[in-house]
Amino acid sequence: MPSRRRALLKVIILGDSGYVNKKFSNQYKATIGADFLTKEVQFEDRLFTLQIWDTAGQERFQSLGVAFYRGADCCVLVYDVNVMKSFDNLNNWREEFLIQASPSDPENFPFVVIGNKIDVDGGNSRVVSEKKARAWCASKGNIPYIETSAKEGINIEDAFQVIAKNALKTGEEEEIIYLPDTIDVGSSSQQRSSGCEC
Amino acid sequence: MEGETTSYPPIEPSTFDLIVVGTGLPESVVAAAASAAGETVLHLDTNPFYGAHYASLPLNDFVTFLQSHSQPSEVPEAESDDSIPLVTRSLYSSLEISSHSDEPLKNSRRFNIDLAGPRVFLCSDSMIDVILKTGINQYMEFKSVDTSFVGDVDGKLMSVPDSRSAIFKDRSLSIIEKNRLMKFFKLVQAHFSEENEEDRIPEEDLESPFVEFLTKIGLSQKLKSIILYAIVNASYDQDNIKSCKDVINTKSGISRLALHHSSVGRFPNANGAMIYPIYGQGEVPQAFCRRAAVKGCIYVLRMPVVCVLKDKEYGTYKGVKLVSGQRLFSSRLILAPSFTPLVPSTAQASKSHDAGHTDAKEKVARGICITNNSIRPEVSNCLVFFPPKSLYPEQIALVRAFQLSNNVAVCPPGMFVTYLSAMTIDAVEGKKLLTAAINALFSIPFSGNDGSRGIDNSSENIEVKPTLLWSALYMQELNKFQGALDSISNMVMPDEHLDYNHLLDAIERFFQEIYPGKEFLATSSQSNEHPNYADSELDS
Repeated sequence: MPSRRRALLKVIILGDSGYVNKKFSNQYKATIGADFLTKEVQFEDRLFTLQIWDTAGQERFQSLGVAFYRGADCCVLVYDVNVMKSFDNLNNWREEFLIQASPSDPENFPFVVIGNKIDVDGGNSRVVSEKKARAWCASKGNIPYIETSAKEGINIEDAFQVIAKNALKTGEEEEIIYLPDTIDVGSSSQQRSSGCEC
Repeated sequence: MEGETTSYPPIEPSTFDLIVVGTGLPESVVAAAASAAGETVLHLDTNPFYGAHYASLPLNDFVTFLQSHSQPSEVPEAESDDSIPLVTRSLYSSLEISSHSDEPLKNSRRFNIDLAGPRVFLCSDSMIDVILKTGINQYMEFKSVDTSFVGDVDGKLMSVPDSRSAIFKDRSLSIIEKNRLMKFFKLVQAHFSEENEEDRIPEEDLESPFVEFLTKIGLSQKLKSIILYAIVNASYDQDNIKSCKDVINTKSGISRLALHHSSVGRFPNANGAMIYPIYGQGEVPQAFCRRAAVKGCIYVLRMPVVCVLKDKEYGTYKGVKLVSGQRLFSSRLILAPSFTPLVPSTAQASKSHDAGHTDAKEKVARGICITNNSIRPEVSNCLVFFPPKSLYPEQIALVRAFQLSNNVAVCPPGMFVTYLSAMTIDAVEGKKLLTAAINALFSIPFSGNDGSRGIDNSSENIEVKPTLLWSALYMQELNKFQGALDSISNMVMPDEHLDYNHLLDAIERFFQEIYPGKEFLATSSQSNEHPNYADSELDS
């Protein structure tokens, strides 16, 4: 039974409003009406499903509920390399995640940082250098860092690979506590019976 | 982060079809349903968390919330000709906290305490159907309630034989009782099978009190008690038909029994009829809010509404003014049960309420106990029912107790949380009911600062009872105010029932009233929205 959940990994994406999923998940679907996007990832001969949770607009007024954060296997922090404030806020988002999700081992919880929109204006409008971003990631316990352009599809596949790899590092102990006998209510909704089954 | 409302950008647009204040379960379901039906919705909450009176909170926050909602609110700025102040009324009273150990509060954040407990889902109930229909089951995970017990007059707990296999396994029932019970379950099954007209229970029996029907078919007092209180969940003494406030008739009794039976085995790895969401019931309103957000509803937490705006000329509802000063407009306003616009007529009602003239009204007495051990060593999550007269001779109401463990992530390992509830008309009786159940289940340390009588000395009780570490008892109102103006509606308080069925019925009726002809929570087009989802494990 534990292997059942192992194959599905909850990934949440955080970042300043407007830079979050809108561009990052562009090629899969638009953010309006987005719930989560799923992405199959092959890793070490096994197939995993990344269930990537969109903030569904609830980040706009800092109104993401604790349920959004709970049980995440990996937290992806996204900023726009062309907007300094979005980089400055990465620390706030990281702290917010650690408070809300309260992972059992906050020091080693897997984050991934993505610098997005590297292709804008041929890179001329860029204000956050890769060096600066990597230095910040290093200072927070060597968070893996990737630069992407969702619009051009640059490094998107790599990003998913890194996310999957990091998500798999997390909380095996926690899952053993919580998951062996969770009820999968989605799986048998057709098996309705009326009246007694006694 | 940057949690100050002052840092919020202005809300855009400024006009909506519907503004909802409060993120309790009924408000959240309506927001999700209205958003799904294409309405533009703004959903606000004063608190920094979702769920309002239906939230699950860390222990410290839970205490703060109860305290702040136990005090009569100050009357805000005076009414002008175009605005009515919004007042918060206190829905809780007689809060009493007893702390016998520092450990629970030291671990405050590791608790998720339900404000509206005890509450469970029956696997086949309409709330689970709605959760599946809207696809929000993908946001939640559930665990089984392992088993149910009924407390008897000797203070012993008997297992509830609620299915054929449970009857077989039961050791406390005689052969005659087992046969009678089996026969009765078959009778009910035949009634609902619709195969044979003559298998149906006669109409006159269906209309008669369920307790009389159970007597007629020869069930023992013990079995009647199990069926009436542990399965059908009657709130009051059914043997005393004259004074009983909710006499259950056979028709509703057997349909409840059928719901229970169809819940057993609906989900392959659920042990019994009932399940509970991991991290607490507060996950449920959050799931509906996320659903609403996905459908375009705008969410703003930490945003109090200071007053309701009305049209100067017609005196009709027009919009709201937020604490940020922003004015927003909508054709309709829905308020959580704790809010009421202070128009002269309700001002009167509110005053008399605060003066404590509501004693004749039914309330729910609720209790939370944190213990160091399980009621039964082999059991993590279980229900215990104390039928009328089982705790003391004058007991007229059922006391429900629901123990949860760390495996549903509501408390730290090595601790257990037990919710209690009972219907009552006054706080003294309510506390007596809960305290009697607490004494029956737990041992209370002598060093306690609550002046209670201490450890139960009954010598025949060989089993070591769990020790009570911390407890809170409180009364919760059930009544609600009617809308002060057309286009303003108040939603319902958490009711006294163990499940969501009555609440959901009320919410659906309300939705149909305000949006006639619109579908209540249409089935989510999951296959379109999640192109890769069909392959995932959860759906298989």
